[in-house]
Amino acid sequence: MLTIEKRRKLEGFLALLFSTLAAALGLFWLVFILGDVLIHGVGALNLGLFVNDPSPPGVEGGGLRNAFIGQFIITLFGTVIGVPIGVLGGTFLAEYARGRNISRIISILADIMVSVPSIVIGTFVYAILVRPVGHFNGWAGSVALAIIMIPVVLRTTENMLSLVPWTLREAAFALGAPYYKVIVQVVYRGAATGILTGILLSIARVAGETAPLLFTAFNNSFFTLNMNQPMSSLTVTIFQYAMGPYDSWHSQAWAAAFVITIFILLLTITGRLIIKWRYK
Amino acid sequence: MARTVKKNPVDLVFSSVTAIASFTVILFIIGILYVLMKESSLAIKQFGVFRFLTSTDWNPVTESFGALTNIYGTAVTTILSLVMAVPIAIGIAVFVTEVSPNYLKGPISIAIELLAAIPSIIYGMWGLFTLSPIMGDYIEPFLKKTLGTIPLVNFLFQGTPMGIDLLTASVILSIMIIPFTASIARDSFNLTPDVVKESAYALGSTHWEVIKDVVLPYSKLGVFGGVVLSLGRAIGETMAVAFVLGNNHRITSSLLDAAATITVTLANEFAEADKDVYMSSLFYLALVLFVMSFITLAIAKYFLVKAERKYSR
Repeated sequence: MLTIEKRRKLEGFLALLFSTLAAALGLFWLVFILGDVLIHGVGALNLGLFVNDPSPPGVEGGGLRNAFIGQFIITLFGTVIGVPIGVLGGTFLAEYARGRNISRIISILADIMVSVPSIVIGTFVYAILVRPVGHFNGWAGSVALAIIMIPVVLRTTENMLSLVPWTLREAAFALGAPYYKVIVQVVYRGAATGILTGILLSIARVAGETAPLLFTAFNNSFFTLNMNQPMSSLTVTIFQYAMGPYDSWHSQAWAAAFVITIFILLLTITGRLIIKWRYK
Repeated sequence: MARTVKKNPVDLVFSSVTAIASFTVILFIIGILYVLMKESSLAIKQFGVFRFLTSTDWNPVTESFGALTNIYGTAVTTILSLVMAVPIAIGIAVFVTEVSPNYLKGPISIAIELLAAIPSIIYGMWGLFTLSPIMGDYIEPFLKKTLGTIPLVNFLFQGTPMGIDLLTASVILSIMIIPFTASIARDSFNLTPDVVKESAYALGSTHWEVIKDVVLPYSKLGVFGGVVLSLGRAIGETMAVAFVLGNNHRITSSLLDAAATITVTLANEFAEADKDVYMSSLFYLALVLFVMSFITLAIAKYFLVKAERKYSR
């Protein structure tokens, strides 16, 4: 029989051992997944991947130029649409509506919107931008990404603007500046690093999205710069190629997965480092 | 205060523009609800609400649709993944806040956050090419041999282990939601005042007893909010499960069978639906998913806001 002291110590030891193992398991998954993407991806990388368009199904060779460019364009226009709306919306919550109920309600709704299933946003955009036009198009993909981005950027902007001390605004008011000038020339400057970081992180968030592009930008085996046409993206291509029957497709999917993972992790780490360097 | 400073016309314009921008969030929520309801009206008229939710039919040929197989798949994968993820996530949070030496805290937190940054399509692809063969060749036959022979639980492990099934999907989903729960639990743990913990130590508590009887009860609202938030995320996850679930519209008791979730059905069938009723039923599914996840996320937010108020006192 164990004495009560020994039992308490043993229980404590086991519990803390479990928590250490849990952390090790978390690290294990990270290393396992990243390592797997790295090993398969590096082996499949070659220059042709970036400069060639896809070859016909089943034929060796070809590349994913269309998907790289398509992904870039869709994400770029998503950012161009989403960021201004998000930043301006966040400005309203943190400045003009500061402390009012409407500001709190919109904040909470935006937090919920951040986690709403992205595939639902895909179906919504399909109904308003694809069906009326009659065919899939790149704009619809950008709009879907923008809808996902807006609540993220809006919340970060609101938080970052709230961190700027109120006395700074009062100093500017005292010089006779109207509120919009105070916001643009004083508050935005004070919060610029934070807002930019938020934008970086939100780009990282949407660049890996697949579900909202499936029925909006869809896919295209040909190179196109026309946003009114179906447009290929890396993520949708990965889905199609990985589920497809050809080995050459699989290795190209791994290469695409490698590129997009590295891109997103670099953005995320850069964002975190900036936050750490600026706010701690 | 600031709200009276609107005499300047430019200010009036700028404030209106920002107001409109922030109202887009409300507009999107109402818009999504309205559009999904409008598009699914045909299916709602034909199948009703109760019948659609409780019918296991999903037959594009006879044009008879019901959501139950999809809801079942979503429920099983979500619950199973939470059961696997929550203990691990809380363990990680305990490790980072209480156990780990200081020089490890930062790197481990960053590693867990990177796990959250990996896109879901990468999880899905890794699941298909790497995890699914491991599950099908080693883990599932092992579970079948051990747990599958025990009465009362053996019905969960029937059928041929293929690796494309509910169990594999749940494992991937659990890896994906660990970081969400872990980071919220960590933040809640960190808010426990040191004085309270020190008083428990002074009474002779062991390290674990302080965590179990002081830190956990103090932060339970936040942790619970984090768990519900992960639930909301898991309900809507698409690409991570789309690869390894097999899109099979049947309700099976075994975890080793293929199945379909709402999200997987949408991802696989939406672009191909040719008939009006089919399309409308898929919009109906999307509506069900939106309402389900919105309610879950609202509950999570309620607890998190409540927790925030409690701690800021």
